[in-house]
Amino acid sequence: MARSWNPHAMQPHGPARTRTAPPQVPDRFWSAPRMRRYLLFDATGLVYLLIGFVILRAVWALGDGGEAWARVLRDYRNPLYLLFHAVTLLSVIYVGVRFFGLFPKAQPPRIGPVKPPPRPVLHALLYAAWGVVTLGLLLVLGGVIA
Amino acid sequence: MSELPKKTFVITRFDPDKDQVPKTQTYEIECRPDWKVLDAINFIKDEVDPTLSHRWSCRMAVCGSCGMNVNGEPKLTCKTSLAEYGDVVEIEPLANFPIVRDLVVDFESFMEKFRSVKPWIIRAKEKAPEEGTCSQSPEELEAFRHFSMCINCMLCYAACPVVANAPEFLGPAAIALGHRYNLDSRDEGAAERNEIFRGEGTIFECSYANECSEVCPKNVDPAAAINQAKLLAVLDWAKGLVLPRKGGS
Amino acid sequence: MLEVVRHDVLIVGGGGAGLRAAIAAVEADPRISVGLVSKVYPMRSHTVSAEGGAAAVARDDDSLEMHAKDTVKGSDFLADQDVVDYFVQEAARELTLLEHWGCPFSREPDGRVSVRAFGGMAAKRTWFAADKIGFHMLHTLFQHSMRFDRIVRYDEQFVTRLLVDGGAVRGVAALDVREGVVRVFLGRAVILTTGGAGKCFAFTTNGNIKTGDGMALAYRAGVPLKDMEFVQYHPTGLPGTGILITEAARGEGGTLKNSEGERFLVTRDYGVGQKAELGPRDMISRAIIQEMMAGRGIKGPYGEYVHLDLTHLGEKKIDERLPFVRLLSTTYAGVDPVHQPIPIRPVVHYMMGGVDVDIDGRTLLPGLYAAGETACVSLNGANRLGSNSLTECLVFGARTGRHAVAYARGASDGDESRLRALGQEEAARIDALRGSRRGGERLAGIRHDMQHTMEQGCGVYREQPSMQETVRTLAQIRRRYAALALDDRSKVFNTELIAALELGNMLDVAEAVANAAVARKESRGAHTCFDFPKRNDQEYLHHSLVWFGEAGPRVDKKAVTITRFQPEERKY
Repeated sequence: MARSWNPHAMQPHGPARTRTAPPQVPDRFWSAPRMRRYLLFDATGLVYLLIGFVILRAVWALGDGGEAWARVLRDYRNPLYLLFHAVTLLSVIYVGVRFFGLFPKAQPPRIGPVKPPPRPVLHALLYAAWGVVTLGLLLVLGGVIA
Repeated sequence: MSELPKKTFVITRFDPDKDQVPKTQTYEIECRPDWKVLDAINFIKDEVDPTLSHRWSCRMAVCGSCGMNVNGEPKLTCKTSLAEYGDVVEIEPLANFPIVRDLVVDFESFMEKFRSVKPWIIRAKEKAPEEGTCSQSPEELEAFRHFSMCINCMLCYAACPVVANAPEFLGPAAIALGHRYNLDSRDEGAAERNEIFRGEGTIFECSYANECSEVCPKNVDPAAAINQAKLLAVLDWAKGLVLPRKGGS
Repeated sequence: MLEVVRHDVLIVGGGGAGLRAAIAAVEADPRISVGLVSKVYPMRSHTVSAEGGAAAVARDDDSLEMHAKDTVKGSDFLADQDVVDYFVQEAARELTLLEHWGCPFSREPDGRVSVRAFGGMAAKRTWFAADKIGFHMLHTLFQHSMRFDRIVRYDEQFVTRLLVDGGAVRGVAALDVREGVVRVFLGRAVILTTGGAGKCFAFTTNGNIKTGDGMALAYRAGVPLKDMEFVQYHPTGLPGTGILITEAARGEGGTLKNSEGERFLVTRDYGVGQKAELGPRDMISRAIIQEMMAGRGIKGPYGEYVHLDLTHLGEKKIDERLPFVRLLSTTYAGVDPVHQPIPIRPVVHYMMGGVDVDIDGRTLLPGLYAAGETACVSLNGANRLGSNSLTECLVFGARTGRHAVAYARGASDGDESRLRALGQEEAARIDALRGSRRGGERLAGIRHDMQHTMEQGCGVYREQPSMQETVRTLAQIRRRYAALALDDRSKVFNTELIAALELGNMLDVAEAVANAAVARKESRGAHTCFDFPKRNDQEYLHHSLVWFGEAGPRVDKKAVTITRFQPEERKY
C-alpha cells in the first residue's frame, strides 16, 4: 500500500491546526520501472565522481614525470579499470540519450529574438555534435591529429 | 436489475481523534462499467459508509479537488475509469502530503509555495482600462498558454521524487506557474521571479525525473517549465553580472 | 471559548463574483481589510467550469444598445433595464481589467482579443479563452487577489448562519471544516457570493458544491428570494453525468440533429428563426424536449438525447477553439466529436433567480449584500443569454464590493457579547447535529428524493398538478430531514456533516423554486407551462418574491424596471 517516507515533505510552516499523519509514498514509489530508470540516471553521478578521481590520479602522475606516468598507464590496463571505463562509457551514453530526449522541451519558446529550432533539428544537431566531438577525440588519441 | 460486477476497494482511513496511524478499510461494491473511480468513492460514501471523507466538486477534471493515489499512481479520480483496474483497487490520499483525514490531505504548503512565485502580472506602470486591452499575438499567447492550464490538482507533487525528499523545493506546479508569468508578453516581473527561483525556490534541485509531466492530467508539462526556467534564470543571473539592474528588485 | 475574527467586509464564497468583489473592496479603500470565507479553496469554485466566454461590446459592428436589447429580449422582458444599461456599459471595462490582470484570452492575428458568436446575441461579442474561460477567469482573479495582503482568506470554512443584531447583519458564524469548530467572523458588511443551486436537481452541470448556501442564509434571515422559478436548462449536457458542452460549440458552427439526422431547429418552427442553433437557451431546450416527446429522440442508457454535430468543423478548428469539448466528450461520453456527433440533452445549469438585491447589490437587510449567481439584480430576467453571467460576476462583483465598503465605513459594530451568544448557539446546534440519530432517514436518500421531485415538477416543461405535487413532496421531505440519521461523529473534516447542512440549504432553495413556479401561471423565458402556454404581460409582468415562513413560504411580487425596451413578442 503506502508507507511513511519523509515526515517533513510538504509540511506547512505554521503550527498544525489538527494532528496529521505523516506524508506517505506508495510502496512501489521508488521501485516502479520509470522511477528506477530515473534513479539510475541520477546514480551515474557516482560513476562520474569516481572517474574524476581516476583522471586526477593520471594528471597528477604527469606532473611527477615519465616514470610515474608509465606506472599509472600500466595500472589502468588492469581488467577492473577497463571494466570501470566501460561502465563509465555506458553511463555517459545512457545519460546522453536521456538528456538529449529531454533537451528540446527544456528550451524556452524564445531567448530574446532567438527561437529554438524544431525538435527533430535539435536532436540531429545534438547527436551530430556528439559524433563530431567523439570523432575528433578518437583522431587525437589515435595520433592522426595533434 | 441484473447484477453488476463487483470490485473491492481498499481505502486509507485516518481519523486523528481515534487513530494513531492511518489504516485501511475494505469495501466490496457493485460497479457500473462506465464509472470513474470517483463514482465508486461517492457510492461508498452515500450508500455504504458515510464516515468516509474526501474532496470533490466538478467531476469534469477542471477543479482539481479529487486528486488521490490509486494503485500507487497519482490520479484525478473523476477522470480515471474504473475499467482500467482489476478486481482490487487501492485508494490512498495523495502522496507526499500530510494526511488530515481519510483521503484528505493538507496542502497549505503548496498554497505558500504557489504564492511565493508572485503569480500575477507585474508591470512597472499599471495600464488603465481606458487604454484598452494589451496587444498580444497568437504566437505570444502560445508561448505560455499550456503552462497556464494547471488546475492545481497537485498530482505532480505526489509524483515528484524531489518533493518527497526536499521540503523547500518549490515543486512542479508552482514553478510552472511562475514560468507562465515570466513568458507572458504582458509581464515585466521575470527578474523578480528569477531571483526567487535561484534563491529560496531552489528550482535547481529538479533533476529531470519528468514524473510530474507523466502524471499531469492537463498536459501542462511542468518538467518543461522547470527546465526552461532553469536556463532563463541562469541567463538572467549572467545578464545581471554584466548589466547591473536599475534600482532594487 | 468561541474564537472571534474581525474584518471590515466579509465575503462569503470565493468564486468569480466573490474574488472580484474582494479586489474592488481593497482597491476602493486602502485601509479596510476583507475576509474571504469560502467552503472550498477558491480555485475549486464552480466558476472554474464555465467554458464558452464572457460578453462585452468589442467591435465596430456592435453597440451598447444592441447588447442591452439582446439581453432584455433574451430575458423575456423581465430584466431590470437600468441594471442592463449599467451592465453593458461596464462590461468591456471589466473584461479589459481581467485581461490586464493576465487572463489568456484567445487572440486575433493583429493582437486584439477574439470574439465569437453566442446564443441570442445579434453581434459577435463573446470574449473567449479557447473553451475554458471560466477556468482562466477564476485563476486570473485568484492569482491577482493574492497581491493584496488585506484580502485574508479563510479556506474551507462553511458559513452556517448570518449574525444579525440591532436590525443589521454584523457578521457570520462559520464551521471550520477541518477543525470542526464554529467561529464568529465579524464584518460590518457581508457579501454573499456563493453561486447557484443546481444540485437541487438530479441532472445538472453543476458541481457538488453548488448547494445554494448563500441563498438559504439570506432567505432564513428574512430576505426574499426573487424570480426563483426561472431555472435555466442549458441545451447541451452529456447524458448521465450532465457535464456541460459549451454553447460555443454551436457558436463555432455545431448543429443539432434528431434521430432522423434532421437539423430540426432549421426545418421546424421553434421560434428561433435564422438564428437556428444560436437561439436563446430556453427556446433551444424546449425544442429538444419537444423533439424527444415527438419520438425523434435517440434512446440511450441514460435516457433520450439528440446529437450535437461538430464533425464538419474539422480537427484543426476543434483543437484550436474547442479542445476541452473534445476532451470531455471523449472522456465522459466515449465519443470523439471530430468523427462522431456528441449525445446531448437539456440540463439544469443556472439560476436566474436569487437573493433580491438592488443595482448596488444591497438587500433589504442593512449590511447584507449579494452578487453573482447568488443574487438576482435582475440582469437576466426570465432567461439568461450565454456569456452574460461571467461578465455579470465581474461588473456586479465590483460594484457590490465598492458599495459594501462605503456602507461599512459608516456602519457601526453591533453588540459583540450578543453576537458571541448567537455564535455560541450556532456552535451548539452544529455540535448537536454532528453524528446525531434523530430518526431513521438516510441523507443520500432524502437528497435523491428532493432531486427527483424537482426534476419531475420543475423541468423544462411544467404544469400545475406536477408542480403542486413537488411542493407537497418537498414539505414531506423537510419533515424527513428533521429525522436524519448521521453516522460520522468525528470533528475533523466531517464531510457528512457538511453534506447535511448543504441539504438543509438545498431544501430551502428548492421550496422557493417550487412555490414560485406554482404561483406563476404563465409561460415566460425558462418557465414554460403546458397549461399556461402564453406569456401574460397583463398579470405577470413582475418579479416573483418568495419569503421564508415557519408555516410555509409566502409568494409576493415586485415591479420590473422598464425604460427603453417595451415588452413585445419574443421572436428571433
